[in-house]
Amino acid sequence: MQRVLWWIAFALFVALVVFGLFVISAVIASNPWTAAFFLGFLGFWLFANRLIFGFGGIANAAKAFLDGKVPDKAELAKKLAKTKEMAQLQKLEELSVVALLGLLRNSLEPFKYAYYLGFFLVFLLAVLFELNIISSLVFGPIAQAVMLGAAIPTLLVWGLELLADYYLAKAAAKAVEDLEKGTEAQQKEGQEGQNG
Amino acid sequence: METRRGSAPAAILILIAIASLVLGWAIGEFFTSRTVAKVVASIPGSPIVLNAEYNKKDHSIVYSILNPGGTPLTIVDESFVFTPGSESKEKGYVVSHVPVHVVLPPGITTKVELKLKPGTEKLKIGDAVLATFTYVHPLSNDLYTVIHPFKMGMKAQNLKAEAEKRSQGGKK
Repeated sequence: MQRVLWWIAFALFVALVVFGLFVISAVIASNPWTAAFFLGFLGFWLFANRLIFGFGGIANAAKAFLDGKVPDKAELAKKLAKTKEMAQLQKLEELSVVALLGLLRNSLEPFKYAYYLGFFLVFLLAVLFELNIISSLVFGPIAQAVMLGAAIPTLLVWGLELLADYYLAKAAAKAVEDLEKGTEAQQKEGQEGQNG
Repeated sequence: METRRGSAPAAILILIAIASLVLGWAIGEFFTSRTVAKVVASIPGSPIVLNAEYNKKDHSIVYSILNPGGTPLTIVDESFVFTPGSESKEKGYVVSHVPVHVVLPPGITTKVELKLKPGTEKLKIGDAVLATFTYVHPLSNDLYTVIHPFKMGMKAQNLKAEAEKRSQGGKK
């Protein structure tokens, strides 16, 4: 009985896959540039995902810090060091929240670089087709569609990067100010202690 | 303190908004132009004879024919009427239904050769050749024609003016 059910499920799965392939190929055949647009969009989003949520999270946390709420340090340290034990070994919890956010932002740098490189290559290909330096009636529009689809996540990454850097700079200024205030208070206390 | 905590960095948001508008515009323009190109590519045009030149060596007339439409056209048949001018000793003759197969690709000027009757005298100034090209396009089985008057030593514009004058004279 189980075997029969398994075979039915398997047949349904295969039928679904075949149907899906059929639909995709039909769409590609009738509208290749639409398919290329979505392919570029989804493919680049796959690589942009880490950057989008990384920069978005940093901007959010820095904004929360500016508003007086302190983000969870342990969680940030865990995100940075992958595991709790590693975070403990690296003594990340001794650092301030803004320093952790700065480290997290720097850890995204290589991903950002690779992502922009990928987008630049696609962009270059589209421009070469657009300026007729290489020309093909079939591949020209497709390269352009892929580039336009890829431009959407790239714009998101770029905007969130600007926001994250902006809020991080503000948060760092505030943290330094707080630090100075703290040391001043300590010095005052020390002086008072000496006087007394 | 208050300025630092300012709600949103307006300059960054405006920058991103403008970039998004430009990107959206580019995407919309791309898809619109693709759709229009697809529609235009399915409309057949009628061929236009831009120029006709007599080739003395081959005893033929070479026509430059532009296909302004989006579908390829195929010339399947050539006919012409030769009318001698005052300087020629040749008699007038008609050659009809020479089967040819010349494809005019869309948007491109193609050269089409019309061979005059072999053994006849070379064209002299004033000789006229009225050529008829029969062509087909992929959307229907109908036959279409384009008729081009050619007069040795005369430009196309002058011929057209002459023809118009004649037709006006006929009306009166």
